[in-house]
Amino acid sequence: MKVKFETLDRTTLVVPEGRLDFGAAAEFQKQIERAIAGEGATPAVLIIDCAALDYVSSAGLRVFLLAARAAQRAGIGFALCALQPAVREIFDLSGFSRIMTVHPDRSSALAHTPPGPV
Amino acid sequence: MRASPAAAAAPEVQAEARAAAVQRGLQVHAPLHRASALRAAQSLRAIVRTQAQRLLRPDRLFGRAFENIILTLIIVSVASVILEEVHGLPEWAKRALHIEEIVVVCVFSFEYLLRLVAAEKIKAFVFSFQGVVDLIAIAPFYLAGVDARAVRALRLLRLLRVLKLQTHILENTVAARTRELADKNAALEQAQAQLKAELDIARALQIAILPATFPVKPGCDGAARMIPATTMGGDFYDFIELPDGRIGLVMADVSGKGVPAAFFMAVARTNLRDLAPQYLEPGACLAQTNAMLCAQNPMELFVTVFYCVFDTSTGTLRYANGGHNPPYVRRADGSVEALTGAGGLALGVMPGVNYPDHTVQLLPGDRLVLYTDGVTEAFNSADEPYGVERLLAEVKAHGDGGATALIERICRSVTVFADAAPQSDDITLTVLTWGAP
Repeated sequence: MKVKFETLDRTTLVVPEGRLDFGAAAEFQKQIERAIAGEGATPAVLIIDCAALDYVSSAGLRVFLLAARAAQRAGIGFALCALQPAVREIFDLSGFSRIMTVHPDRSSALAHTPPGPV
Repeated sequence: MRASPAAAAAPEVQAEARAAAVQRGLQVHAPLHRASALRAAQSLRAIVRTQAQRLLRPDRLFGRAFENIILTLIIVSVASVILEEVHGLPEWAKRALHIEEIVVVCVFSFEYLLRLVAAEKIKAFVFSFQGVVDLIAIAPFYLAGVDARAVRALRLLRLLRVLKLQTHILENTVAARTRELADKNAALEQAQAQLKAELDIARALQIAILPATFPVKPGCDGAARMIPATTMGGDFYDFIELPDGRIGLVMADVSGKGVPAAFFMAVARTNLRDLAPQYLEPGACLAQTNAMLCAQNPMELFVTVFYCVFDTSTGTLRYANGGHNPPYVRRADGSVEALTGAGGLALGVMPGVNYPDHTVQLLPGDRLVLYTDGVTEAFNSADEPYGVERLLAEVKAHGDGGATALIERICRSVTVFADAAPQSDDITLTVLTWGAP
């Protein structure tokens, strides 16, 4: 799995590509932790754009959960967007789409994710 | 055909050929003798080489003592080469230095010969850095006769013995490092073997706590199978006999893999099993289990659980879903429906979650198929998942037989599909068949 990072103003966009399975989960977790509390300026909003994410295993789901919690602790706005149908189904089945904000696409995520108090 | 040109040839040619044959005949015997002599020489050389190598081994008394003697002599001889340049040395000192030189050269020559004999490849040793330096250290002595001091250039050449010191230090350092590395490797291998043995035990324990048989109930049969992944996983199933005579069926999948997942699986399974007799409604049981898991979840793991309670006398199935793949009911006519009643969040994520109860009526000849995503997300070498469609096709086509038969069918179908691709997740299945009470 590859992960790209984009910065728009004070918003960090995380763009995972490929399969987020057990093997990729630990590295993805580290990358997200770094994006939230790394050397750079803390972002006001963290959005994970899943347009290129083909598969999420339960270990991958856990990383999303940890990311949401870390963002909440750091007071950062957090949302997901552009889930592919197969990934969306995994989020729906596990109930995770009910505890995280999921937007249909990147523009609505950017427009509707309130920045956290920094 | 091959012999015909010779037969047709002129008589003198035939005579030549005979003479050549006679010669060949002699040669046939000669190489035989030579070969056996060569073999004897080779085996003798092998024995001598082994002995020489043993003498040079630095981890043995002789090798270590020899090494120290050589080092001392190098230093002494370098010092004496410099001392010789001092003018006006007394005659007795010159004599002493001369004797010292002979002793040094004798010992160095012995060492050179020993190393030559011990070398696996003689040529390689002669042309190696150490081989060349060792030769230079003694060559001036032999080149100039007994009195090397006569030739000034050769005398100075002896100063190169300093290089000998370097090769020895280098060799010793390399040998020490190699020994250290070998020791560390051995320790590492032992630790790894121990870890693997412990993991194997843990995995065996994990599988052993799963029920091997389904509770005996008239008209009702159940079977389950778990094919563990290469890494220790967190799938589990369970059959629980409830105080009201009903049977609880559990199908669950812990997030992640390895020892943490296995521990969390054991905790989740124990909590659910303990709470099930007190909370007979599946939703209430899941809610209580969730509360317990949230209170003891340092790794922030979670588990998806489908829990249902089956009344074997009426065929009524009550279920609640904690984020798990919906199971299937295969009707006696071959049609299949998924138990998609709204569920709650996976267990262990956050406390205070509600799990709605749903009811489905099983009729005689119906089957209930519970599974984990290890089945539908078994990938083949082309990176395609087994998928729900293939599972449904198997359930539709082969659901008429017993519970064990259907499980075997599905497992075989998944294994054939995945082929040589490594199994990344546990594959777990449970099938419940219900006839008339």
